[in-house]
Amino acid sequence: METVLSIQDLSKHFGKIKAVNNLKLDVQKGQVFGMLGPNGSGKTTTLGMLMGVTNPTSGKFLWFGEEPTPQLRRKIGAVLEHPIFYPYLSGQKNLELNAMIKQCPVENIPRVLELVELTERKDDKYKTYSLGMKQRLAIASALLNDPTVLILDEPTNGLDPMGIAEIREIIRKIAANGKTIILASHLLDEVQKVCTHFAILKRGNMIYTGPVDDVGKGSETVEVNADVENFNEVLLTFSGTSSVNRENGVYQVTMRDGFHGKELNKFLFEKGIVVNHLVTKKKSLEKQFLEILSEAH
Amino acid sequence: MLQLLRIDLKKLTSYRTFWIICGLYFFTLGMATASGMEFLKWLASLIEGFGQSINIDRIPLYHFPDVWQNLAWSSGLLKIMLGIMVLISITNEYSYRTVRQNIIDGLSRAEFLYSKITTNLLLSLLSMVLVFFVSLVTGLIYSPSLNWHYMFNGIEFFPAYFLEVFAFLSFALMLGIFVQRSGLSIVLLLNSYLIELIIKKNIDDYVPQVIQFFPLESIMNLVPMPFARYAFQEIQDYVSLPAVGIALVWTFLFNYFSYLRLKKADL
Repeated sequence: METVLSIQDLSKHFGKIKAVNNLKLDVQKGQVFGMLGPNGSGKTTTLGMLMGVTNPTSGKFLWFGEEPTPQLRRKIGAVLEHPIFYPYLSGQKNLELNAMIKQCPVENIPRVLELVELTERKDDKYKTYSLGMKQRLAIASALLNDPTVLILDEPTNGLDPMGIAEIREIIRKIAANGKTIILASHLLDEVQKVCTHFAILKRGNMIYTGPVDDVGKGSETVEVNADVENFNEVLLTFSGTSSVNRENGVYQVTMRDGFHGKELNKFLFEKGIVVNHLVTKKKSLEKQFLEILSEAH
Repeated sequence: MLQLLRIDLKKLTSYRTFWIICGLYFFTLGMATASGMEFLKWLASLIEGFGQSINIDRIPLYHFPDVWQNLAWSSGLLKIMLGIMVLISITNEYSYRTVRQNIIDGLSRAEFLYSKITTNLLLSLLSMVLVFFVSLVTGLIYSPSLNWHYMFNGIEFFPAYFLEVFAFLSFALMLGIFVQRSGLSIVLLLNSYLIELIIKKNIDDYVPQVIQFFPLESIMNLVPMPFARYAFQEIQDYVSLPAVGIALVWTFLFNYFSYLRLKKADL
């Protein structure tokens, strides 16, 4: 596997505050890498350093195994925080300007405008765009030079549900083309839906990293319900039950290791109880995230 | 380098404020320098009202070779407008945060600065060319006789005027990069002469010899004020090389300080 980005002991201190503290991280080619963390955990500072706008206090990072240069940055498409463009220029002219900076042909512009569905509004001034359109123009600009790596920082921040769905669709399309994507977000659901790998930052420290597929391994939760009195106690008599919670009118059974919904169903059936609801729930990233955050101090 | 100039011009040429200020500047520059005779006529009629009279034909405002220094000096007064334009251009980059995006998109910090410096060079060059042509044309119109031997005496005031404008724009650019806010930086630019004047007046009695090394003073010394010669006073009618040296050093420093500031900043 080819390492696209290798971060080695990267730190950024603002006075006493350690915004990023000895960060070590590798991103491989083709990964959709999610950077998770609460607000102020150092995501944007890290991405700022990777893109040359924030000077690191110490440590270094390599893009494609090389020391970072402006020439390398032109091959990386990045949207950090909110979209930034010249408000008095049209979308088209803003992209023309970016094409000049990235030294890529202006012929690329129609294609990226089409991808983000902004062709019709391209000649309107940027300041007349809605937030969703601004975000999409930012993604268009990031894709302009046909980059091999895409960095997106909270790309769905402040968008309405439709806008969020559109941006996710665009990210999936891009990922399907084999591009490496680094996505910073505090929206866990978003990371779970689009990412292959993720890392969790807390107060500048990386406290977890791994593939998204690993989430949900370990103990299972089964949601179950039946029209039986004292169902709670019946559930507790099952040898695979670790704990039972009643939530939203159904019972959440946390299973011991090695037990699954199938065994619970069998057990209840043998007891003469027919369930009217049974769902095996994978642990959501949100749960795991909160667990990891509360474990790390 | 040319590519960087094109990038900065792309930002500016669709910006209405740029056209308004630059249009106003070059229009005023052309008109003001060309209408000196009208000004003298007005002055004469004013003095006549007091019962005195002057013969304006005896003031060779537009005669070769006087015209070069006269117009180069007068034009220098208007450079403050260009300075304000430069401040707006650079502080916009900070208020829109586009300086950050430009770096992210692949400009180096030095390249970003060069793009602004090349625009300053272009504006200085255009100013010089415009004033040169106005001088040439008015000189040809008003000079009673043309003598090729001394007609171009004092033409060195034009490179000096170019340096004067460029040094001042470099100063404005540095101010913008350090202050980053348009309103405050414009106020500071307008007051910078006053601030320097106060300092100069306070040290004049003790160390007058250092005054020529002050930054704005050094810019002013490039093209000395010529009009006192019409009141029969001795003037400096040449470009002093030490003055050029001092101004060049300051110009370099202004841009170098800008570079250091940009390099160190977290954008």
